[in-house]
Amino acid sequence: MSLLQVEKINKNFGGLVAVRDFSLSVEKGEIVGLIGPNGAGKTTVFNMIAHFYPPDSGRIFYEGKDLTGMKPYEICQLGIARTFQVTKPFVNNTVLENVMVGAFSRTNDPREAQSKSLAVLRKVDFFAQRNLLAGELTTVDHKRLELARALATEPKLLLLDEVMAGLTPSEKVQLLGLLRSIRDEGITLIVVEHDMKAVMTLCERIVLMHRGEKLVEGTPQQVSSNPQAIAAYLGEEYGTT
Amino acid sequence: MEKENRLTLGWWIIGIGGVIFLLVPLFVRNPYLLHIFILIFYFAYLGTAWGLISMAGQLSLGHAALIGIGGYTSTLMFMEWGVTPWAGMFVGAAICGIVGVIIGYPAFRLKGPYFALTSIAFAEILRIYVENTEEGPFGIPLKAAMGLLIPLKGQAPEVFQFQEKEPYYYIAFAMMCIAILINYTITRRKFGFYLMAIRSDQDAGESLGINSTRYKLMAMALSCVLTAIGGTFYAQYFRYINPERAMGLGMSIEIALVGVVGGWQTVLGPTIGSILLSPSGELVRAYFGGTYAGLHLFLYGLLLMVVILFLPNGLNDPIRRALKRLEARIRRPAVLTAQPNAPTKDSG
Repeated sequence: MSLLQVEKINKNFGGLVAVRDFSLSVEKGEIVGLIGPNGAGKTTVFNMIAHFYPPDSGRIFYEGKDLTGMKPYEICQLGIARTFQVTKPFVNNTVLENVMVGAFSRTNDPREAQSKSLAVLRKVDFFAQRNLLAGELTTVDHKRLELARALATEPKLLLLDEVMAGLTPSEKVQLLGLLRSIRDEGITLIVVEHDMKAVMTLCERIVLMHRGEKLVEGTPQQVSSNPQAIAAYLGEEYGTT
Repeated sequence: MEKENRLTLGWWIIGIGGVIFLLVPLFVRNPYLLHIFILIFYFAYLGTAWGLISMAGQLSLGHAALIGIGGYTSTLMFMEWGVTPWAGMFVGAAICGIVGVIIGYPAFRLKGPYFALTSIAFAEILRIYVENTEEGPFGIPLKAAMGLLIPLKGQAPEVFQFQEKEPYYYIAFAMMCIAILINYTITRRKFGFYLMAIRSDQDAGESLGINSTRYKLMAMALSCVLTAIGGTFYAQYFRYINPERAMGLGMSIEIALVGVVGGWQTVLGPTIGSILLSPSGELVRAYFGGTYAGLHLFLYGLLLMVVILFLPNGLNDPIRRALKRLEARIRRPAVLTAQPNAPTKDSG
């Protein structure tokens, strides 16, 4: 049984087709990359998995359970966490308090929530900033805060929406290492990313979306050598024909 | 728990202020002055209770309705069945808790100003209904606009009636302290973190596992329960309750104002607001009430505009900052003398 099974989901906004007949199956322990040009429907797929809005049609199964009709907070409690591409920090609170909100999804004890949050902050190398107000951080740090908050909910499946954007090359290398270690702890990852080098090195499997549909799916080698993928998105730089 | 933003000076001020308030009736015998103190505590209590729902980012402009329901319930139970208001108070509280959930359930599903509008509408409908209803359902004698006079029993603590001001003073003070304590406890626990997350960014909160409707309803119910108990105090203290005052928009706005001016969504904000507003409102009413009736409401409006323009988070923030600076100044000399090689005048 797959950890996540997406079956032919569709989403229209007004007359605009955002996602069409999209299917995806993710196994436990995988790192799957979701790539594609802007407007291809990647974030919409995330929002449907996290149930920020329901698919118009199609079904999503998690650990064999049909998620139809569930609310975002129920999805989180089931063990699916997500970050937002447009970050949503609690700006008037400290980094630690932000992360504690996530930790409270698994405990009612403030002490336990705090110690878990501090552990998460250490792991994502954000411990020194724990007492800063979230509103005073840079956009790049907001991305890291999103990651820390999501990790604090102790997910089994983590949906990361462009957490690499804006990072320097060395920070990217660091984050790649972190994501791998998160995977090694048994957390499955689906990442939306525009940095092809990062995606190609991180992911075992890549799904390329184009105009709301799945265009190509396969290993990084398969995708980067696929003429359709090169034409639609990758261009010559990452294409290996 | 890790202590961040610790404000030792603030704790001292709270402690000393509390002791002074406790001792005031020993020295102050003037009933009118005591009355002003009682109003400070009372509106601090109401503002803090109101603040519980504002912690979830919701603005209620109808909290007077809950004072009305609480006051009417305990008073009617006393008049009709002889039930002591000490018990009737909790019946009113229970009713208001349920009413809060019934109003909140549909209103909280909407984003934007709909809750504020719903709360005004509810309070106004209730006021107009009671003002025009001599006899309610099941023959409840609501007495329309005339209101209810509490049957006087003299010095009768068992039915929440006292001859002197002092007992009311201590009851109001205790109510305020309990409300602040409840509010403070909440901010330290999961409930408070969740309310913070909901008011800061509801979508982010939901993605982190927060059932926002449920937590808003819990905050609403608690806020309503406390406000209803305030309604019983109102009836017992003034020995009279009528729809125009106890359920009117003026009362709702005064409650909200205390919170907004002091700093809503903070624990002590409503208390600060009440310390400032209640005496000034009362004095203006006392001195200009005859010639310029309603002047205090005009001044409240003016004050509200000034505060929203210049201190959108209320007085709580600047006071905190000032205390922090003062504290830093007090501590700095100690740090300097601790340095072994600090240059002194005598050196050389």
